Amino acid sequence: MSLDIQNIRDAIATNLATISGLRTSGDVPDNPNPPHAVVFLETVEYDDAFRGGLTTLMMKVMVIVSRADDRTAQRKLNQYISPDGARSIKSAVESDRSLGGLVQTLRLTDMTSLGSTIVSDQEYMAVEFSVAVYA
Amino acid sequence: MAKYVVTGTYVTLNGDDISGNTARAELVINAAEIDTTDFGSNGFTEIIGGLKSGQVTLDFHNDFGAGGISTLLSDLVGTIGTVTINPTGSAVSSTNPTWTAPVMVSSFTPVAGAVGDLATFSVTFPTTGEITYATA
Repeated sequence: MSLDIQNIRDAIATNLATISGLRTSGDVPDNPNPPHAVVFLETVEYDDAFRGGLTTLMMKVMVIVSRADDRTAQRKLNQYISPDGARSIKSAVESDRSLGGLVQTLRLTDMTSLGSTIVSDQEYMAVEFSVAVYA
Repeated sequence: MAKYVVTGTYVTLNGDDISGNTARAELVINAAEIDTTDFGSNGFTEIIGGLKSGQVTLDFHNDFGAGGISTLLSDLVGTIGTVTINPTGSAVSSTNPTWTAPVMVSSFTPVAGAVGDLATFSVTFPTTGEITYATA
């Protein structure tokens, strides 16, 4: 199967959009509107099988929330970090592991960081997740 | 042919291309060592080559889908199959021969792997009969 990275990013964003109230993008937006989940590519490992039979992509999902009220922000992030539940990022990303047939399978493996980040001179609370995509 | 990095190896089993699910391929050909040491060997052992044998080892990515490697192997355990291996997957030539090995599909590991890992398994099949290679 031909590997289309943009379609994969968009499909992960579509899975994330099953979380009520969460805006999602397969591209990095200039001006995010929190809560906002952004999917981007981190690394690609080629030739995991002969003749291009498997390529492993490591994706990042960054979720930013407003920190106008720190307590509310942290509680919202806790729900996103949970391995299950209606706002679980892991559950949403893995809700369709083949991304409609675009890839072989995927798994959200880790939450890699939690803290504040600055986007377009605006400070947000942010959490990052790693997603292993086997395509 | 020069030195090469293994990426494009072409592997078939009974004519089915299984390269895309294969991460490692190895064909080993052995000859038995027949001892011919005698009083004239000046204190050293001497051997000659005896019967040849071989084995094929393949590492797979598990796949139970229609036509997937695990579906394919499920029906072959206990039968004789044919494995072909071409080192680079490019045109067969004297510098890129295709090896053909009749094998006894003696084992299959349909379930393997630890939590969080990509599902993989390995097989080692003894060869049966002559191993050949084609250069054209």
